[in-house]
Amino acid sequence: MSIGSPGSTVGVEDHPASAEPERAKGVAHGKSPTRIAMDRLRKDKVAIVCASIVLFFVLIAIFAPLLAKLEGGNIADFNPKLIDEFGFPTIGVTPDHWFGVEPRTGRDNFARWVFGARPSLQVAFTATVFGTVVGVVMGLMAGFLGGWVDRVISWVIDFVLSLPYLLFAIALVPIVESWRGGSMNLTPEQQSSTRFFVLIFVLSFFGWAGLARIIRGEVLSLREREFVLAAKAIGVSTPRILFRELLPNLVAPIVISASLALPAYVTAEAGLSFLGVGLIEPTPSWGQTIATATNWFQADPIYLWLPVGAITILVLSLALLGDSIRDAFDPKTRR
Amino acid sequence: MQVKRITAVAVTVLLAVAACGSPSSKGGGDNGSDGPANTTQTKVMDAAAKGPAADVEGFKKGGTATILSDVTPSTFDPTDTYYVDGFQIQKLYFRALTQYRLDGPDHKPVLVPDLAEDLGTVSDDKLKWTFKLKQGIKYSDGSPVKAEDFAYSIKRSFASDIFTDGPTYQRQYFKGADKYKGPWASGDNFEGVETPDDHTLVINLSKPFPDMPFFGAFTLFTPIPKAKDTKDAYQSKPLATGPYMVGSYNPGAELKLVKNPNWDPNTDAVRHQYLDGYHFRFGLDTLKIQRQILSSTGPDASSLTYSNIDATLVPELNQGNKKDQLIQGPTPCDRMVPMDTRKIPLEVRKAIAAAYPYDTERKVAGWTSLAEPPASTYMSPSVPGWENYELPGLNGKGDGDPVKAKQMLKDAGKENFELSWYYSNDAKIATQRSQVRQQALEKAGFKVKAIGVPTAKIREVTGDQNAPVNMFKSPVGWCSDWPSGSSWAPVLFRSDAIKLGNSVGQLEDKALDAEIDKVNNMSPEEALKTKAWINLDKKIMQDYLPALPVYQSRSAFLVGTNIGHPINDPTQGMPEFTSLFLKQP
Repeated sequence: MSIGSPGSTVGVEDHPASAEPERAKGVAHGKSPTRIAMDRLRKDKVAIVCASIVLFFVLIAIFAPLLAKLEGGNIADFNPKLIDEFGFPTIGVTPDHWFGVEPRTGRDNFARWVFGARPSLQVAFTATVFGTVVGVVMGLMAGFLGGWVDRVISWVIDFVLSLPYLLFAIALVPIVESWRGGSMNLTPEQQSSTRFFVLIFVLSFFGWAGLARIIRGEVLSLREREFVLAAKAIGVSTPRILFRELLPNLVAPIVISASLALPAYVTAEAGLSFLGVGLIEPTPSWGQTIATATNWFQADPIYLWLPVGAITILVLSLALLGDSIRDAFDPKTRR
Repeated sequence: MQVKRITAVAVTVLLAVAACGSPSSKGGGDNGSDGPANTTQTKVMDAAAKGPAADVEGFKKGGTATILSDVTPSTFDPTDTYYVDGFQIQKLYFRALTQYRLDGPDHKPVLVPDLAEDLGTVSDDKLKWTFKLKQGIKYSDGSPVKAEDFAYSIKRSFASDIFTDGPTYQRQYFKGADKYKGPWASGDNFEGVETPDDHTLVINLSKPFPDMPFFGAFTLFTPIPKAKDTKDAYQSKPLATGPYMVGSYNPGAELKLVKNPNWDPNTDAVRHQYLDGYHFRFGLDTLKIQRQILSSTGPDASSLTYSNIDATLVPELNQGNKKDQLIQGPTPCDRMVPMDTRKIPLEVRKAIAAAYPYDTERKVAGWTSLAEPPASTYMSPSVPGWENYELPGLNGKGDGDPVKAKQMLKDAGKENFELSWYYSNDAKIATQRSQVRQQALEKAGFKVKAIGVPTAKIREVTGDQNAPVNMFKSPVGWCSDWPSGSSWAPVLFRSDAIKLGNSVGQLEDKALDAEIDKVNNMSPEEALKTKAWINLDKKIMQDYLPALPVYQSRSAFLVGTNIGHPINDPTQGMPEFTSLFLKQP
């Protein structure tokens, strides 16, 4: 899929496809691969639009309390007077309730929507950062050290990849609750926060293995290269070789993997919450809202479209942005 | 008396079906129940009732009615049945000792003899019930019904290892019940039943059981010939005594009933045989079948369902005369907010009543005036002798007065009194309702400890009468097994209810026990005349307040446009199937 504009060709001409040493020469011209990628990205209109949308959602999540205050709504207040006897909202969009109110409970839709952006992004970003860091470290170690370290890490990677992650997510909640003193002793908020951290843990735990495997493969081919051998020969310490010599060459796969993992985690959080194993009341989350709203779709479509639209736009933007980043970092891309 | 049964199904049905639309809610003291419900009933029993049953107006013969259902009855074995849907369907093909006739414009239940000649006579020591049986009754295969068949089906009900879900009164009250384990394990010798001749059934009790005639209406008293019994396979090809018999039964999917040629209408004071047959279909999608029935195109016009209407369909009722397709009426169930009287003092209970957010909880829970109108009594309006009364502030309406409640707490010197309850933390509505209560009660100066429990465990923890919480121990609602005041106060508010696990409010009051016993020992007519049950109900609420009344559950089910005489049976909260006909067969 070619997304970038045809104009984004800066620095490409000098670098024939898959000619690594010559690319190293290109770097010597004064532009690092990262720099080249950034230049390409800047010229990519889709990337810019998507980045702005993602930034928009990030700002919404950060300023959620402020926005809700501005509107005057509250995520926890029930407004039974704004819904009729059968649960249908009696008001539409009003100055007090910018997106109307929830059916059945009368809670403010706008406040719950802006707060709903928080868990999605928090879970996705935390899980991505954690998964990436662990994946890279594990991959580097396995690939570079080889021997028994490689065998152990590879075994752990295979083990993690073979675990059923949905079952794991479901089973882990009661276990963690019992660590925190048993569900009977937790307040609703504590139970909800337990779910939140379990979700982050599960997603990160299952996210690092794939990346680690990719990194390991890359390192296996890189470690036999001359610059690594040279570094070894002059006695550079192993951590230094790993992080100073090898890591810069791995920026592309890491950034690509992270940018593709983000939207996947956003959907995973919403999906798990929709299924009832993710976040629970009273924490607002888009996935939960979608689960409830499907019952009200005919009578109150906006209630469903708000979170569905938000997730669709956010995930689409993240995915397209990830695609653009991959294109920008991939020296093989020709436009 | 233990009334465990409908709770399970009723609660499922009630919770699963967020019910629906209402005629404009009436203001004033009327608590939203139907108008004529207050007509005085003078009879709860009619021992002289004779067949045939009086015809319904405008009936036509022929055709087949289709009953579409989202729930699947767990069993059709007469001994194992303890759920309202099973009872109501089997009423079409099984006859028991007694049965309910629905009288008058508001279909008040009156207990009448069915296969018995009378409603039974009790000996002076109240330990022996004698039922004279009708003669000349035949099974659907033409063989005669004998007295020992009744005795056999009673013995059969003691095989609790095979029939695990059936009613348990016989195991509590019948003589020798502690030793007898059913005909397969213990043989035919059981001192609990005797058949001195071919048309007399004698039941020996170990302790008095004045409600025996009501219990006689349960399907476990239908005769089963020992030679034809096939244990748990009997339900697929049973011998029928009612106007219909099983044509084919496909477990979990469908049941087809056809006319029973050996049914004599002259012996039956309750049932009709207007239709050629009934076709029950189970396990269907709730919303889909309700839409089908509502639109009533083609064969769907001759169909009906028995789950309450889904809230999302309510707006459609206002189109044309669709409202006529909604059948309403009382059910034997209601719902309360129980408060452990051993842990919460009376003044604090009154403060809770003043602070309770009924309206918000109703909306959040999806309760409507159609299926769950606010209640001001503990007893259900389906009970004969029920009359509405309303104590100030205790009517299931309003949204609480935190200022007043706070003052009441302060006057009692119980500020920051801690209230605690369990709720299902993976059920969205239950969690939201808990939040509503917590917010309102905290505003009124209570401390609240809401404990989230997985739904799979909630029954177990709330079912413990000594659980370390002080509100919302089960039962939080009640469904009576028969339309009599005796299946309310004596079961819920006596001290021994704690041991039986039925107590609402865990009352332990000797004076109240004596008072309940006094009413329980009256004859049904006398209790009805003196309004003893409803007066007792009011006194308990006024003096003890073990629970706040919340709602009375009501039927609100949809019928197709071609269904004639669709009425609600208040004894079950189900459509009355035996008097249905098709307007255009």
